[in-house]
Amino acid sequence: MKKFWLKLQYKKWFNITKDGLLKENPIIVAVLGICSALAVTNRVENAIAMGLAVTFVVTASSLVVSAIRNFIPSRVRMITYMVIISSFVIMVQMFLEAYFPVIAAALGAYLGLIVTNCIVMGRAEAFAVKNPMRYTFFDGIANSLGYMWVLVVVASVREILAFGTFFNIQIMSDNWVPWTTMALAPGGFFILGLLIWGVREWAKNFDVATE
Amino acid sequence: MKRILNIMGFVLVMGLVTGGLLIAVDTLTFERIQANEQALLQSKVLDGFDVEYATASINDTFTSSVEIVTVTVDGVDYDIYVDPNTSDISFRFEGGGVWGPIIGVLTLESDLQTIKKVGILQQEETPGLGGRIVELPYLAKYEGVTFTPEIDITKDGATAPNQVDAISGATSTSNAFELILNDHFNSVVQAYQATLGDE
Repeated sequence: MKKFWLKLQYKKWFNITKDGLLKENPIIVAVLGICSALAVTNRVENAIAMGLAVTFVVTASSLVVSAIRNFIPSRVRMITYMVIISSFVIMVQMFLEAYFPVIAAALGAYLGLIVTNCIVMGRAEAFAVKNPMRYTFFDGIANSLGYMWVLVVVASVREILAFGTFFNIQIMSDNWVPWTTMALAPGGFFILGLLIWGVREWAKNFDVATE
Repeated sequence: MKRILNIMGFVLVMGLVTGGLLIAVDTLTFERIQANEQALLQSKVLDGFDVEYATASINDTFTSSVEIVTVTVDGVDYDIYVDPNTSDISFRFEGGGVWGPIIGVLTLESDLQTIKKVGILQQEETPGLGGRIVELPYLAKYEGVTFTPEIDITKDGATAPNQVDAISGATSTSNAFELILNDHFNSVVQAYQATLGDE
């Protein structure tokens, strides 16, 4: 087992996945995608829906950027990413509205919000444009799942405190007084801030001031 | 010069490819999206009239169970859906919410002032706050509320027959919804009543 673990640590795909999920987590370490993280984390189902949609868009757009990376003129690369990302988001939106209208209705405004998510463009610029498709795939999946697990953790705390429910199932007693602030953006800031602090403290991932 | 031409060529190709893909997906999905939207509207009207239906045959059920009267308000045509058995009416309402339009269906009892049901077709309110406007337990609070002369969505707890509880933490959505419902009630129902008087 130890030998397998050691071998795994020298695999590039494994390190890319580990970085996206933990070491370079887009929210906890890079502090990207905060707007949508605050907007959708008042319910767990919203967090999962947003996480899945972002996973598809990040992975697909990164793969396309990686595939055409040798043809993209550097001066228009940001516009290229935006066009690719927007096209994917619009196509996903139309496809869901046509064939899965219930899911499209549940996602609502979140789908459009993906265009503004910094993680999508961040991965295209930081990784996809410099790496082959096979590694880009792992990077896209890992970063979006890294985004998703943080959303789900924050949403779990907020939903319980704000509504007394978890995944829309009542878990607090009838006497529970909903903590409305937790449903609002400030509640998201509190919980996300505490989570980032806790994880960085645990992982010793912070700068130490030197004299 | 060659570099500029390369950039222009790349942008042109990218625009053509992505534009072509979007047009293709739009062409493939347009009719289905329209049909889904129509079916959703029909389902809200039938729900309001307590008519049972199967998803596959909703169009047939709708056609056989609902009469349509068209009224004109400020140059805009509104379809009023009438249940011929009970004289209950339904109509589509639309207005500005906090982030986008709120579109829905309002069903009134035959007295034309008591709300029988409210259904939401589309909204873009803040998820978890104003977005709770689509939740059935919240919409159920509107049933039996009367426009006397207007409804009042209040933060202080509904006590009067024309009052409904506002959504916690979503004052702007509640205010917008109140305005939309009252506006449509005042204009559309008045126009419908005028058609009844003409008969």
